Amino acid sequence: MEAESSTSNQQRKRKRSASESSEKPAQSTWRTDKEHRLYSSKLLEALRRVRSGSGSGSSSPRTDPPRSRAVREAADRALAISARGRTRWSRAILSSRSIKLKSNRIRVPCPARPKRTELERIQSAADQEKKKSVVLQSKAKVLGRLVPGCKKLSFPTLLEEASDYIKALEMQVKAMSALTEILSMIGGGTEGAPGMVQDAGAGTSTGTDSMPPPT
Amino acid sequence: MSRRRSRISEEEINELISKLQSLVPESRRCGSNRASATKLLKETCNYIKSLQREVDDLSDRLSDLMAGMDNNSAQADIIRSLLSS
Repeated sequence: MEAESSTSNQQRKRKRSASESSEKPAQSTWRTDKEHRLYSSKLLEALRRVRSGSGSGSSSPRTDPPRSRAVREAADRALAISARGRTRWSRAILSSRSIKLKSNRIRVPCPARPKRTELERIQSAADQEKKKSVVLQSKAKVLGRLVPGCKKLSFPTLLEEASDYIKALEMQVKAMSALTEILSMIGGGTEGAPGMVQDAGAGTSTGTDSMPPPT
Repeated sequence: MSRRRSRISEEEINELISKLQSLVPESRRCGSNRASATKLLKETCNYIKSLQREVDDLSDRLSDLMAGMDNNSAQADIIRSLLSS
């Protein structure tokens, strides 16, 4: 296992130098095959650790479904690592694993703003602007609470973090659903030969191509 | 949209907002160029929440599958070889 983690570390370093040397437009982050493969291998590593260490070493043995929580956190951590420290939300995930449970307070829903009436339209323009920016601020606050580590950011930074976070989440969903499909095929179908595994791999990876091909 | 924003350039914000708009599927469908920022923020929050719910759901299923595979050694062998590749 150490050999594998060291090779993946080397892979990470090579990928980091490659991405730093080339121009990386924002649109291609989280969408390239390379990143899919990177995330998938990190995900598998993390899941393997969850399997071997179930019960001991997981961060929340007290919650009801400890394993699914551990799986979720492992997947999030793998996602944050794949971000390679580029974004605040990924750094926040990595640095606050243990206190994440405490910070999951019950969210008070924002009171609905009254719809604009004729009277309000008659009011001065500055007043209207202020009202609009207050609504905007409250929405921005909600957004800041959703994205990890972004509660006190300026508006443009928050928007940037949010768009990166959305793309990363989409990749996470794709990778995890591909993995789930493969595992459920293996589990639900016949206990089988490796041939079956290869078929399953080929069958599910046509669209997503996010799983490394089985050897 | 408001005409004056202190300290933050309006252009920057518009750019980021259009970037977000292209990501969130709901507002892409509407195709409106001048979508209100508040509406977009709301759509963004909802989208992020639904994505996180999906990830939670998937990790539930994954943990069930992983628990199931612990019980069956033949499957566990296949999966172990898959996971270690």
